[in-house]
Amino acid sequence: MKHKIRFTINGEVKEIEVQPNKTLLKMLREDLDLIGVKEGCGAGECGACTVLVNNKPVNSCLMLAVEVDGKEILTIEGLSDGINLDPLQESFLKHNAIQCGYCTPGMVMSAKALLNRNSHPKEEDVKEALAGNLCRCTGYKRIVDAVLDAVKKGGGK
Amino acid sequence: MKKNGRGIATIMFGFGYGAGFPDHSIASAEIEDEGKILIRTAAADVGQGVLTTITQIAAEVLKVKPEIIQIIPGDTHLIKNSGSSSATRQTFFTGNAVKEASEGLLSNIYHYASIEFRSNHVELGIKDGYIFRNDNPNNKLSYWELAEKVKESGDSLKAEASFFPRTDKPDPNTGQGEKIYVAYTFVTQVVEVEVDTDTGIVQVLKVYTSADIGKAINPQNVEGQIEGGTVQGIGMALMEEQVIKEGITLNPDLTGYLIPTSMDTPRFATRLVENEDSEGPFGAKGVGEPATIATTPAIANAIYDAIGVRIFDLPITPEKILKALKKRETENKIGKKEDF
Repeated sequence: MKHKIRFTINGEVKEIEVQPNKTLLKMLREDLDLIGVKEGCGAGECGACTVLVNNKPVNSCLMLAVEVDGKEILTIEGLSDGINLDPLQESFLKHNAIQCGYCTPGMVMSAKALLNRNSHPKEEDVKEALAGNLCRCTGYKRIVDAVLDAVKKGGGK
Repeated sequence: MKKNGRGIATIMFGFGYGAGFPDHSIASAEIEDEGKILIRTAAADVGQGVLTTITQIAAEVLKVKPEIIQIIPGDTHLIKNSGSSSATRQTFFTGNAVKEASEGLLSNIYHYASIEFRSNHVELGIKDGYIFRNDNPNNKLSYWELAEKVKESGDSLKAEASFFPRTDKPDPNTGQGEKIYVAYTFVTQVVEVEVDTDTGIVQVLKVYTSADIGKAINPQNVEGQIEGGTVQGIGMALMEEQVIKEGITLNPDLTGYLIPTSMDTPRFATRLVENEDSEGPFGAKGVGEPATIATTPAIANAIYDAIGVRIFDLPITPEKILKALKKRETENKIGKKEDF
């Protein structure tokens, strides 16, 4: 039996019916077409599916869709206003913090969550905040540099 | 106790398939409508940046802004073979094919423009997608206007090129050959580690890299490849191990098979040596695999430097370090001479 849930997604209120065993990841990708959210391992190990639920980073592959009833979700698609990129996104581009790009949406969302709770993180804070997001291409240096540069430019507000 | 050590390793890497295998790449360049220049290549960009590299190459040869270059990526209906994105070969092979195709297109631009301007090639100049007679630069034709004129004459403004270098099979008896690989990339790395002798945990602190990559067409991408490859080398040295028992992988997930995280990444100092010693496009050589090879032996050497124990079995896990330290302690107690 499907459950009716109501939540805010990237600033927009949505009401949909979902199967109780559907993950948040599957709902975002299949029902809401938010395919910026990536499935990596599907088991909470890689962080590629990271989205913010009530400002906290979660592995959307481990959360059931019904759990977001009444909550606020932010995905990579919600960062830009359609014209201007988020300072974090700008910074990732500038620093070439992207190679294959598969981890990038999750990386950016984890960084966003860090900046939400700590507007002036140090290098070690950034590394720790991103430790749950695996990247096989970049070696992380440029990702960490990008986040620190976004902080410097006031991305942490 | 925490002990610091430094290790060094140097590698050379012959890239491309080499050894006489038929290894080539085909690309084409053509003047496209709407102010674009089209490059057709099947080179797969998996994040290493080959499409950026060949965009730069085409823009450089054709003297236009990179934004004008449009790439049609892999499509077997439209594009010929560029070979695999493996063996550290795409910059060299497809880079050369795109360079030659762009040069072919440029030659055709000169050729048809010389007919239009009733002039010789040497009297023509090219700038920002325009061609003109040097003695009258205001009377200019854009590549696209020229393409229209060529089209009216029933021809088209394009060129195709194949880069198909020869390599030799090594002699089966001696292993020697005149040219086994198209070229070699050289990398030296110095790695600084900190070894915790109580826990056996190794932290890689800093990696100094010097890489002779011929020419860095996109230095930011080259450094990105080196950093990514180095961190894979850290994984190989310290944590990555596929455990197989009776044909079954016991750790088929990222909880059991550990790869480096942001916490494992060191500080980097990278120097690119641009020696231009090969037939690569603008002297460029491959950097992909060479970036990962030196790291592991350099780390093993650094660990030896830090704690005086040499471990030959990868990955060098905390358990192995503690076991080796304990063995040495026992041997020292019974007065056996150290043998590393």
